[in-house]
Amino acid sequence: MKLTPARRVLALFLLLGGIVHRLDATSAADLEDQTRAIATELRCVVCQNLSVADSPSEMAQQMRAIVREQLEAGKSPDQIKDFFVSKYGEWVLLKPRTTGFSALLWILPYVVLGLGVIAGLCVIQRWVRKKQVISDRPMQPAISQQLSGEPFGDEFPQPDLDDDSHKARLLRERVRLQHELADLDFDFQAGKLSESDYVSLKQEIEAKAATVLQEISSLPSDAIAKPAPKPAPARTRPQQATAAQFQLWKIIAGGTFLLLFGLTLGVMLTKAARPRGSENDTITGDFLTGTTSGSAEVRAALDEGKQAFEKQEFPKAIEAFKKVLATEPNNPEAHSYMGFILVQAGHGDGALMAFDKALSQAPNFPMALWGKGMVLYQDKKDYAGAREIFQRLLNLVPPGEERNEVLKVLAEIPASGGTPSRPAATEKSATTVSSSSGQISGKITIDPKLNANTDPNAALFIIARPAASGGGPPLAVKKIDRPTFPIDYTLSQDNAMMGMPFTGKINITARLDKDSNPVTRTPGDISGDYKKNPVEVGAKNVDVTLDQVAR
Amino acid sequence: MPVRRGVITLLIIGPLLALLAYGFTRDSHYIVSPLLAKPATPFTLKLFDGRDLSLADLRGKAVFLNFWASWCVPCREEARELEAAWQNIKDKNMIFVGVAVQDTDQNALEFLKEFNISYPNGKDERAKIAVDYGTWGIPESFFIDPQGRITYKHVGGIRAALVVSKLEEAAKSIVSAQEGKGDYSAVK
Repeated sequence: MKLTPARRVLALFLLLGGIVHRLDATSAADLEDQTRAIATELRCVVCQNLSVADSPSEMAQQMRAIVREQLEAGKSPDQIKDFFVSKYGEWVLLKPRTTGFSALLWILPYVVLGLGVIAGLCVIQRWVRKKQVISDRPMQPAISQQLSGEPFGDEFPQPDLDDDSHKARLLRERVRLQHELADLDFDFQAGKLSESDYVSLKQEIEAKAATVLQEISSLPSDAIAKPAPKPAPARTRPQQATAAQFQLWKIIAGGTFLLLFGLTLGVMLTKAARPRGSENDTITGDFLTGTTSGSAEVRAALDEGKQAFEKQEFPKAIEAFKKVLATEPNNPEAHSYMGFILVQAGHGDGALMAFDKALSQAPNFPMALWGKGMVLYQDKKDYAGAREIFQRLLNLVPPGEERNEVLKVLAEIPASGGTPSRPAATEKSATTVSSSSGQISGKITIDPKLNANTDPNAALFIIARPAASGGGPPLAVKKIDRPTFPIDYTLSQDNAMMGMPFTGKINITARLDKDSNPVTRTPGDISGDYKKNPVEVGAKNVDVTLDQVAR
Repeated sequence: MPVRRGVITLLIIGPLLALLAYGFTRDSHYIVSPLLAKPATPFTLKLFDGRDLSLADLRGKAVFLNFWASWCVPCREEARELEAAWQNIKDKNMIFVGVAVQDTDQNALEFLKEFNISYPNGKDERAKIAVDYGTWGIPESFFIDPQGRITYKHVGGIRAALVVSKLEEAAKSIVSAQEGKGDYSAVK
């Protein structure tokens, strides 16, 4: 077919277009390959041990885009890596450089390997030489005679048990073999061994004995001679003592090293590593990284507790959270959940204590802030306090559903009014109804000598324990923040823990706690007992003076 | 002879154990910046009010450069502190610049409104400025002296008092020996 000029131009255009398109595709593929190659050598700054090429993080994507841009701008791979090094330091290189200080990282393993091989060869050479010395020695007729006749005569001195020298070890081995041979003879004569067993075992022992006797005979004659009956020379004893000390020292050093090594690995490694929580969890280490850790058991117990809480299986949830708190007494999440359970059970005071405990460990723990805010708002009608807490929470919660929920509650809280249940106010009103038979009421005072030393931020705990239990968990607890003494109080069923019945004979104690933590006793805490404990529910004027300072 | 062997063994094992212990006590996630005392990388930031702000234009002033995001809790914690510090120094020859990273316009603007942030803020569209400053955990703050040199870096939340004192040092071109650290969120 003959092409017209116009068709020729068109065909050329299409052909060239195809080539250009293929070239574009090839260079794009090259660029992608180069980008990937460089990204493979760069460490992802938000992950651990993942390259920029392999990391799914947004930052890694942005870094890959920068690599591509710089390649397009004509920069070489080394220039691009230098750029990232100038921003993040040598750390950003997954493969350290082979120059400067980093070169040590490349050289040292080979140096150590080389030294190890040399040391190994030296040790093997020594073993081989030692074996050769023993096997090369010709069998002396005197020894054969000794073995066939009286194998071990009395021409050798008795070994010293404290002596750790080679000679003494050989002598001790000689005696041991002598006894072994005698035992064998005895067993054979007693009919405990067959003849074939006897012969083979005897040959074995005799062969060992021959080696030992050969070695003994190869020692200098003065080394084999019987020691003089007089005490050992003055030089030998210190040498023996030094050898024994060194032996002891070796054992201690070895033990210490093993202990330290075990501690280092056992303690630190468990703290430094944890399994990934999910596919997106790129951080595996958390020792001193500021991220919460927790062992697998604690996490499992927490999960179990949360699930039980969601299903409203509160006893099960309480058990699980108690398990968490036994291992991690300050776990804010477990304290917060305990708070929510107490809220469900209608124990506002106990819940507040739990949330305060969580917040004392993590002042910005959102769950505890939410719980405390809700208790202050709905249970205590302390609108100002609730507003303050929700405002704090609002500052922490990024935009989203949770934030909207906080905003909604904040809008619901009346701007004014309500009856803030500040401790003093509550106590004052409580005294007016102290005639109720379900209460114990009285007054807490502080020893005037101690009053000047009290911490203004300390919290007062009034604790009721069943008289029969001696110690054990409290029946009811009341917390009063920053009390002003003297202060009136009442304890009633409302303060009882976990729905326990507030009845029977009860011991009343009080403690001004510096760290506001009812569980811990810190030096400086001031406590006191009701002097006529136990009391019955309904008792009045159960006055306690705080007069004992914890040391 | 045996004592010498023991000493040599300890000399080998001791440093190895020390190295192991050091490795465990380090925050493996922490990246020490090589930028301290180095010239700050120039950038132009598109501000939320539509203006462009160039670092070169700020030469002669002590600059506080803060990287943040609305989803970052430590950023929220420090936001009021930063505004308080800004109110404290805004009449001096110092300037604050906020750079939002890995954030949406809407969320970033809501954040600024919520905390009444009044100093210039803009968005780092593709984290180019963040990478230029070796950012890996936010909030991250850089203090730049009037000659354009980085005098101090702080990873994590920072208090108003520290901002003011470090800016005053930056104004005098005093370079801190090491960077500071507070609570931080890793960038995404």
